Amino acid sequence: MVFGESKRYYVDRRVTDRIAATGAQSFASYFARLRSDLNGEIEQFINAFTVNETYFYREEHQLRCLSSDLLAQRTARVDRTRTIRIWSIPCSTGEEPYSIAIWLLENWPQVDAYDIEIVGSDIDTQVLEAARSGIYGRRALMRLAPALIQKYFEPLDEDRWRVIEDLRQSVRFSPVNVVEASETRAYGQFDVIFCRNVLIYFDDASRRIAAENLFENLLPGGFICLGHTESMSRISPLFEVCRYADAIVYRRAREDADGKSVG
Amino acid sequence: MVKASAKSILVIDDASLVRLYYRDALERAGFQVTEAMNGLEALEKLLVEPADLLIVDVNMPKMDGLTFLKILRRQELPLAATPALVTSTESGPQDIDAARKAGANFYLVKPVAQDELAAYAAMFCGEPR
Amino acid sequence: MPLIRKSPSETAPTRAPEVPTLIAALENGSQQERWAAARGLAKVPGAVAALGKALGREADERVRLAIFTSLATISSAASLDAILPYLRSDDASLRTGALDALRLMPGIVPGRLESLLCDPDPDVRLLACDLARDLSSQEASILLSSLIEVDPSVNVCAAAVDVLAEIGAPDTLPSLVRCAARFADRPFLGFAVKVASERIGSRFPARHG
Repeated sequence: MVFGESKRYYVDRRVTDRIAATGAQSFASYFARLRSDLNGEIEQFINAFTVNETYFYREEHQLRCLSSDLLAQRTARVDRTRTIRIWSIPCSTGEEPYSIAIWLLENWPQVDAYDIEIVGSDIDTQVLEAARSGIYGRRALMRLAPALIQKYFEPLDEDRWRVIEDLRQSVRFSPVNVVEASETRAYGQFDVIFCRNVLIYFDDASRRIAAENLFENLLPGGFICLGHTESMSRISPLFEVCRYADAIVYRRAREDADGKSVG
Repeated sequence: MVKASAKSILVIDDASLVRLYYRDALERAGFQVTEAMNGLEALEKLLVEPADLLIVDVNMPKMDGLTFLKILRRQELPLAATPALVTSTESGPQDIDAARKAGANFYLVKPVAQDELAAYAAMFCGEPR
Repeated sequence: MPLIRKSPSETAPTRAPEVPTLIAALENGSQQERWAAARGLAKVPGAVAALGKALGREADERVRLAIFTSLATISSAASLDAILPYLRSDDASLRTGALDALRLMPGIVPGRLESLLCDPDPDVRLLACDLARDLSSQEASILLSSLIEVDPSVNVCAAAVDVLAEIGAPDTLPSLVRCAARFADRPFLGFAVKVASERIGSRFPARHG
């Protein structure tokens, strides 16, 4: 990426944000942090400049949290006939839900013991079409090891790959407006919801309503993951905050038979 | 330069000038200071990095200080036992009682003077380092 | 592959219940039913009375939050009146809930702000200062500089100064200085005015000094 002088404010702003977000005391100490890639700062830095770009295995630490901690919590309480439901909303052009699928197939030891339903939703029907077609360029795949690309994609030409048919058919893509309860309600309740980097674009009222809708779409004890720089502290007190080794996530409280929160 | 062994204080107040005032006093006294602007942000920060003392305002958006304290006291130890000094504009006995029931260790009426804050902080934390 | 895909018909939407049913559930239902009812009434301006009444009785935090959201979404003069009394509540979480709801009503709250800033209750005036943050710099400056000239409560003035530090205009500087003089025995206010003045000065360098 090349920025001309006219973009100086844009660059300044993003660097300042990263300095503040990391608690660095000076540019020099931030720069040292960036050079040593402390806490994955390189990815954060790149994300700050490419917040609208999406790619496979973005924010991998949350995927790790999913397979290491979240699903263990969810499956501790269910019998094996119950489907594990995961929602990617917004799913954009599909990188996120396909990433979740691939990650689980590759990294979750219990993946064969449960049925897993992955749903990808977005307000934009065009991106949903793209997601269904499952065709991606080099940049989207840059974080995937060649072995994974070979296993889950078929090359269409030098610069495009397509998700294999089996996997494409395994994820449902459908439209939803996350601010409309009448639309979100129809999707039922999930074990884990990924709602990354969209609430930041809403006004305060819409953000709050979206959070309340997504609460309704969580099973008691279910988890919601926001983008790495986002926080429920600016949005809603509905969720409990949980810290795991790889990520901070939010949870709908578990409930007893009368619907009262427990634990 | 603050040493790693300095006692740390989390200031929880939605008013940026209040946080600045407390930070000024506490850093000069030798404490390491972090900030949160409401009870939710405070819980998130504490899960990542515990503090030796909390200064907790009552009136804050999203989650007030007393609700925060009640949730804090339900967490696992040692987090649940973090000393908490509540600050409030209210001075009535029922307000102090409500804070006590929520889990406050002490209560100061705002506006809190800097030397007062630093003195109480030292009392709860021991010496800053 | 353990991944399964369900067809949309398996999660078809159910029809929304009628308003009288929701209002009854709001009054008599289980926690889950009251919560769902409160959410279901978000676009029903006629339900403001029922929502306000329920708010007075409701002990469950989640249901209260849903009621506040619905009142804020309706955003009428009536819903504003239903929320305002809770700024005076002894319960901190109700005060927070009310204030958060008011912040979501930028179309309606500004018209009431002047009277809230003159309320006999200093707690109401203090919380109202925070609502001025959503006004334009000019509007907030006019309202809050008048307030800090005369308000007897140091905490109310401190709240106003905090907002002016963020969005105040240079013409508030004399009022800020006079306020600090009025509360010369309160070092925090002097500190706040100093910082506010510096921040205003740095926002408007050409006009300052």
